[in-house]
Amino acid sequence: MSEVETSVARPKPVRVRPPPNTSRSSLSRMENRAAYWFLLPWLAGFFFITVVPMLASAYLSFTDYRVLKPPQWVGLQNYVAMTHDRRLFVSVGVTLRYVLISVPLVLIFSLAVAALLNRGLKGLAIYRSLFYVPSLIGASVGIGMLWREVFGARGIFNSFLALFGIKGAGWMSSPGTALYTVIGLNVWTFGAAMVIFLAALRQIPESYYEAASLDGANALQKFRRITLPLLTPVIFFNLVLNTIGAFQSFTQAFVVSGGTGGPVDSTLLYTIYLYQRAFQHLEMGYASAMAWVLLATIAAFTALLFWSSRFWVFYGD
Amino acid sequence: MVTDRRLDSRSLAAHRRTRKLRRNLRGIGLHAILIVLLIAMLYPVIWMVLSSLRPEDEIFGGLGLIPKSWTIENYVKGWQLSGNPTFAAFFINSFIISALAVVGNLISCSMAGYAFARLHFPFKWLWFALMLGTIMLPIHAQMIPQYIFFLKIGWVNTILPLVVPKFLATDAFYIFLMVQFMRSLPAELEQAAVLDGASYWQRYWRIILPLTMPALVTTAVFTFIHTYNDFLGQLIYLTDVKSMTVPVALRLFLDPSGGQSSVGGLFAMVVLSIAPVLGFFLASQRLLTKGIATQGFK
Amino acid sequence: MASVSLEGLTKSYGNGVLKAVNDLNLEIEDGEFVVLVGPSGCGKSTALRMIAGLEEISDGGVWIGDQFVNDVHPKDRDVAMVFQNYALYPHMTVFDNIAFALQIAGMPRDEIRRRVEDAARTLELTDYLKRRPGQLSGGQRQRVAMGRAIVRQPAVFLMDEPLSNLDAKLRVQMRAEISKLQRRLGVTTIYVTHDQVEAMTMGDRVALLRDGNLQQVAPPSVMYDEPANMFVAAFLGSPSMNLLWGELGEVSASGTTLKLGGQTLLLTTEKIAGLRRLGAYANRAVVVGIRPEDIYPAADRPGATSKIRSNIDLVEALGSDKVLHFSIDARQALVKSSDSLDELNHGEAGKAHCVARLNARTPLRMGDDVDLVFDTDRLHFFDGETGEAIR
Ligand SMILES: Nc1ncnc2c1ncn2[C@@H]1O[C@H](COP(=O)(O)OP(=O)(O)O)[C@@H](O)[C@H]1O
Ligand SMILES: [Mg+2]
Repeated sequence: MSEVETSVARPKPVRVRPPPNTSRSSLSRMENRAAYWFLLPWLAGFFFITVVPMLASAYLSFTDYRVLKPPQWVGLQNYVAMTHDRRLFVSVGVTLRYVLISVPLVLIFSLAVAALLNRGLKGLAIYRSLFYVPSLIGASVGIGMLWREVFGARGIFNSFLALFGIKGAGWMSSPGTALYTVIGLNVWTFGAAMVIFLAALRQIPESYYEAASLDGANALQKFRRITLPLLTPVIFFNLVLNTIGAFQSFTQAFVVSGGTGGPVDSTLLYTIYLYQRAFQHLEMGYASAMAWVLLATIAAFTALLFWSSRFWVFYGD
Repeated sequence: MVTDRRLDSRSLAAHRRTRKLRRNLRGIGLHAILIVLLIAMLYPVIWMVLSSLRPEDEIFGGLGLIPKSWTIENYVKGWQLSGNPTFAAFFINSFIISALAVVGNLISCSMAGYAFARLHFPFKWLWFALMLGTIMLPIHAQMIPQYIFFLKIGWVNTILPLVVPKFLATDAFYIFLMVQFMRSLPAELEQAAVLDGASYWQRYWRIILPLTMPALVTTAVFTFIHTYNDFLGQLIYLTDVKSMTVPVALRLFLDPSGGQSSVGGLFAMVVLSIAPVLGFFLASQRLLTKGIATQGFK
Repeated sequence: MASVSLEGLTKSYGNGVLKAVNDLNLEIEDGEFVVLVGPSGCGKSTALRMIAGLEEISDGGVWIGDQFVNDVHPKDRDVAMVFQNYALYPHMTVFDNIAFALQIAGMPRDEIRRRVEDAARTLELTDYLKRRPGQLSGGQRQRVAMGRAIVRQPAVFLMDEPLSNLDAKLRVQMRAEISKLQRRLGVTTIYVTHDQVEAMTMGDRVALLRDGNLQQVAPPSVMYDEPANMFVAAFLGSPSMNLLWGELGEVSASGTTLKLGGQTLLLTTEKIAGLRRLGAYANRAVVVGIRPEDIYPAADRPGATSKIRSNIDLVEALGSDKVLHFSIDARQALVKSSDSLDELNHGEAGKAHCVARLNARTPLRMGDDVDLVFDTDRLHFFDGETGEAIR
């Protein structure tokens, strides 16, 4: 041991410089591997729950398939058949009415209530929670069942109208009004959109309004000239979200009509008709074709909204 | 003309009073509008809750809220609507599915979120774009082949078709939520952990996940509510009475003829069915706002 | 414990367009405290992070001890790092923060407890072990970050501006504590800062970086007294060195003259003798540097021959000294923290702003005319074109 410990300086180790960039590959390869392990569940789901079924349904839409026998290739026949399907046309009309009426109403209500709540009111948090309650439960079967009773012939809605001497009918059982009760149920759940609006409103700096006040703007002018333009991105967001959601709406009309889409197909949303063809008549090929038409329609509407946003959505700086 | 410019304290006080009064009046007006709107909106629900506690034949007696006589008979009747199984079984089924969905989403979405938010790997932007794309995708196109597949492997009338996908992060919205949240955590935290010798799993499990608590709570709450309320999936996959969940079972109150077998029983079960949703929401509100993640930095 | 060697260490961004660190060569001995200093954005953190393994190395190599570590995972380099924002785990107690690395390493619980308690005692954190970082003051958080580093007993400490989030008083205190701790533990330390006071007071040696390029490595006093170039000269010292264009006269046995604008100074033979290369600059323009503390009022230096007459623009009384701002009839030489020295030539002729640091009791006031003496033995000379010191 003592022999080694001489006072002679230890010679500098020979340093062999390895080729550059080896470090890059080994360390980042480790990270790549780790990343794909973390992604594994999602990747499996993405392929086996989303991509493969989508491809399968695209294939099925060109077949006649009734589950018991193997699918038979029929080319475009399902799509052609759709152009002769009277109930399908009815369901398209019902769906369009449902989307085009309920979505604007949801936006107007949610924006109006959010604007009222944003005026420095006490108890904001409580109001926000209470207005949000319908959104929590509105999609449930239970509330759909309640709706049937509220708007039934002997329901409390008619009791309410009776206070004013109006004699109401069975809102659910008359083809003229049934869809509007379902639309009403959707509008009832405006709280979710309202919460988003409220968050956006609170982001607008108070100083904008102070400056406008000094410029002599009144409350309405401030709303139209400051609030609305600054909110357009959020309006757009809510519009896209609610439109896509409304096209897929199913539960409420299904429950309220007892699964039929009645009376006289007046609440026959496209999704309900699709469900009936697929799971009641077991026409899986035809239903797949319907599903792809729905997909294309939603995509088209979304694209249209995005295109239109260039003309009315204001993105600051 | 010389005016007395000394401040008249009495007129000033009066002025202050009128201004305050006007402000208060405006506030009262706003409150009145909002409260009337809220009452109109929530009246049916309140009415249902109270109606579930009155005798069946009193229910459609008008707008009144307070029952003349109180009874829990509706709850007893509704609970045993279909004889055996009772609603106990339906609630248990619903809770099992919802709980497993929550666990599945928490694990799988946070894992994917961690990879997207904090790791580098080839084609990340492409995977990320695909993931975002699936958020808006309607389920109808996938639904039919999924059903056929699950039918063929014998999973219909089990909870598996409703639960297994959650463990595969198919609710991409929650991945997005986690990514947004995890991205905001400082990079140095993980670098410190790297130097401390932590593996990727330890970085995820011991550093990032605890700090993602607010996003995890949000995910848990909304996964629970959505799964618990979900109807279409449970309608398709759970047709056998024994495997039914609450939403599917509530439809048993519908008479095939179109009427109701028991409105009182129905109301009682609807009240019970929405109670967990409201409870979960109320309980989580405090947690949602707690936000422990910002504590260590200034 | 180990030495650290950097050889040609380079980091390029944007396909080599930006070299955040360029060809850095540095030998750090076992147990040495080296301060890496430079203006912000000069590549200090990047260099440190390459040593830690948190940043990929574009070119060159890092050795810790005898081990070539370019390919070694950060956790296997046996280094501990203190981050500017401390990077404490907010959800863990102080104890767990300090213990984390040991827990990961699978050390027995008793051993962990003993080590953490030792570290906590050293850093006076014993009473805070159960708290979370959010419940600590800035100085305490800083200590926890230190604790996390020392508990591992690593071969090398890396510290990236660890004091810059503290207020001025605490910074002075922690500066001393870190120095003491490092001396006691004897762990090789690389300390990054943009604060020249930390650089001057803490390091065994200081390495000064500018735009990714190493300017000089030397013990602090050497770097202060013999700066390698104008940039180093201007960076260290507060107020910073006065830099003026001057012209050297013929160098003869009795000395030489130095013209600063309209004034002429005499340089003695002894002074020139130390600067062998100065002869080559006879009758040429050079940049002359003089530190503020090397300027005196003529009244204090009765023997001085060459005085400079000026009018006082401003007096800043700091209590301990007085800082005098004045203009002299000469051209100012400027150094900017950018790549080119072009600015050197653009000083306004005839009016150079200078600063002197005088005794607090000097009875001078704004607007006074004053005769000043430059201590010619302490002048610095720089090549006007390259900025290099002439020695
Ligand atoms: N990821 C990056 N991409 C491009 N440039 C970077 C990156 N990180 C740092 N830089 C640049 O490298 C230079 C050095 O940065 P840094 O090492 O952080 O400086 P500092 O000395 O202040 O610690 C800076 O000019 C910075 O802009
Ligand atoms: Mg830095």
